Amino acid sequence: MTNQQVKSVVIVGGGTAGWLTAAVIAARHQGRIQSGFFSVTLVESPNVKIIGVGEGTWPTLRTTLHKIGVSETDLFKQCDAAFKQGAKFAHWTTGAADDAYYHPLMLPQGFTQVNLAPHWLLNNRGRTFSASVCPQEQICEDGLAPKKITTPEYQAVANYAYHLDAGKFAPFLQKHCTEKLNVRHVLADVSSVNLTESGDIRSVTTEQAGEITGELFVDCTGFSSLLLGKALGVGFKNCNDVLFCDTALAVQVPYDSADAPMASHTISTAQPAGWIWDIGLPTRRGIGHVYSSRHMNEESAREVLLNYIGHQHKDLPVRKIPIHSGHREMVWKKNCVAVGLAAGFLEPLEASAIVLIELSAKLIAEQMPANREVMDIVSARFNDVTLYRWGRIIDFLKLHYILTKRTDTAFWRDNVDPVTIPDRLKNLLKLWKYQSPWFFDEFDRLEEVFPAASYQYVLYGMGFRTEVTPEENIATESMAAKLLNEANMVTREMRSQLPKNRDLLRKIYDYGMQPI
Amino acid sequence: MTNIAILNRQTHRHLRVHAEPSAKLGDNQRFVAVVVNEFPLLVPHYPILLSKDAETGSFYCGAMLGFDTGENLFAPEEGTRGDAYRPLNLQRGPFYTAGSELAVDLDHPRIATGSSGQPLFDDTGEPTKYLQSIMELMRELRPGLERTKIFIETLMQHKLVEPVDINVGFDDGSSRQIEGLYVIDQEALRNLPDATVVELFRRGYLHLIYLMIASLKQIPVLGQKKNRRLLGETDQIAPRVG
Repeated sequence: MTNQQVKSVVIVGGGTAGWLTAAVIAARHQGRIQSGFFSVTLVESPNVKIIGVGEGTWPTLRTTLHKIGVSETDLFKQCDAAFKQGAKFAHWTTGAADDAYYHPLMLPQGFTQVNLAPHWLLNNRGRTFSASVCPQEQICEDGLAPKKITTPEYQAVANYAYHLDAGKFAPFLQKHCTEKLNVRHVLADVSSVNLTESGDIRSVTTEQAGEITGELFVDCTGFSSLLLGKALGVGFKNCNDVLFCDTALAVQVPYDSADAPMASHTISTAQPAGWIWDIGLPTRRGIGHVYSSRHMNEESAREVLLNYIGHQHKDLPVRKIPIHSGHREMVWKKNCVAVGLAAGFLEPLEASAIVLIELSAKLIAEQMPANREVMDIVSARFNDVTLYRWGRIIDFLKLHYILTKRTDTAFWRDNVDPVTIPDRLKNLLKLWKYQSPWFFDEFDRLEEVFPAASYQYVLYGMGFRTEVTPEENIATESMAAKLLNEANMVTREMRSQLPKNRDLLRKIYDYGMQPI
Repeated sequence: MTNIAILNRQTHRHLRVHAEPSAKLGDNQRFVAVVVNEFPLLVPHYPILLSKDAETGSFYCGAMLGFDTGENLFAPEEGTRGDAYRPLNLQRGPFYTAGSELAVDLDHPRIATGSSGQPLFDDTGEPTKYLQSIMELMRELRPGLERTKIFIETLMQHKLVEPVDINVGFDDGSSRQIEGLYVIDQEALRNLPDATVVELFRRGYLHLIYLMIASLKQIPVLGQKKNRRLLGETDQIAPRVG
């Protein structure tokens, strides 16, 4: 039994997590699948509705989709996708009308050569950090797309990810999985999860398709976490003591006209007890108010949302989504690994949901254990890496709240209370008073979810000061001047070359993008 | 700007057109769209590559005529005759097709004023030899565009296209980098399954593919031509045999 080979992977649950995981595993092991040595089965209830709002993603999704072999043009046409070049955070620092900063997706110019942050800190020439070191803030403000119609699929002029309709993304992936990647699709309700004596999952019994056996089970059943949580009894680690938001009110707002300008960045606007996401899809804006029900009641939260979208939209249907902030105590136990909401969920402040699915799916696909005996070695490493990632994301989200200078409501005051700040983050903030995050920082993992550059954009976007003396900068002074100058030149060049966001989207519909 | 009108034997009875090759009159293009029908005629002179339309991003085939913007190294000097085949898209001058009709761009620099240039209609209102040749050319060009489109789609379908960067250094110390050009991926071509090779052969595409590959040998020749210009020498005419 212990040396049983892993030949069939059973994914329970469709949705973005299930289908993306299926696609990544099946694409990686396609050779074995076609030779009949390996199989990927996805069991999905015909009755469960997918949770999906307008979703933000990370640029990693471009690589992931390219690898699984879908066309980017099809993604745009079939998933209501649009470009995302980062996020603009409004009213997070002081709450004043002009209080805003960008977290762009491009790295600062020459990021691997010189850390520009200390140079900007000493002399910012009246410009924001992000505008000084990369073109993307300006491109977003101009309403420009991150590429041209002649740029091949998945390639960028300015780094980008997507905004997309998750309700359309899952069926899009499903089609590709079943038609191109030989994933077996079983539409059936799981009625029981059957364990072996050693506590492994032997099979799942379904109402419509009988018993389905496998050697590795992937739990993509969403919040309910049927396999890992319920059947294997893995507990849930709450983090609402750090991140207070626990409810979202989501609404889809139509544009005034079909060719209204469309932002190519997520707009996150701070509110008295939370914040509002605003994601531009081609046909509508996906908008949601994420708030702490401990700090605001639902009626007021609805009012805040309505004030943002405008009272002419008061009759649009609003969906209430609970946010259980936190994650499973372990994400891979025995022969079961959880991906997506079954593993955990956090408020969508930095679009971490889909990128975590990608990273998990990739790790499972690359580290696919050959047999049951080595699975425990793989799962220990997987837990280590994945729990580290959850921790870093929680830290990074919390960072947005603790740098605030707002004291107008209890929500903002409570957020800076030291007991709500993880120790690791407290230490980092102490350290960053004297040195800015860069390489050689503790972000040492191979695939860090948020690179040091992301911390820089948020820290210096929110007015954090790292002490810098002119003497420290001397060694890299000329190189930094050259790079800052380069960033200016690149900005000018991109502004003159790039088309309007909406115009490029129309061309993608009309002509498609070329694969090369 | 363009001012396109359907050609009409009444309205345009006295219209005349400068038909001769001339950089000043619109031949000043370093890359001109071509159709597959003319590949055999192009190969002895021009590199044939693929590029993308700036407006649509779609691929088209083109002949490379020079290295710098607006440079056509084949456009003859004033008063001489060019000896290279002239791509149809240059020969067509100010003419277009609109549905089944011939149209003309009245603002094109080739539209003559006064009594110079080629007349389009004779005294009896019939098309002149020149206009007949344009109509003949359009009969070649229109189906050629469609054939070329399908040829390119076939190349893309079999992943036979790859980007190429052309870097050429000249004797005056300058160099040129040309981006945005694509060629046949010869590695992919060699790896095609037998059935596909036969299919491409039967459809006449293998022939076109090898013409494109062979035409790349014209890039260094074009480079030498440019080199001589840069050094202020005139093109040497190769001695004719026979």
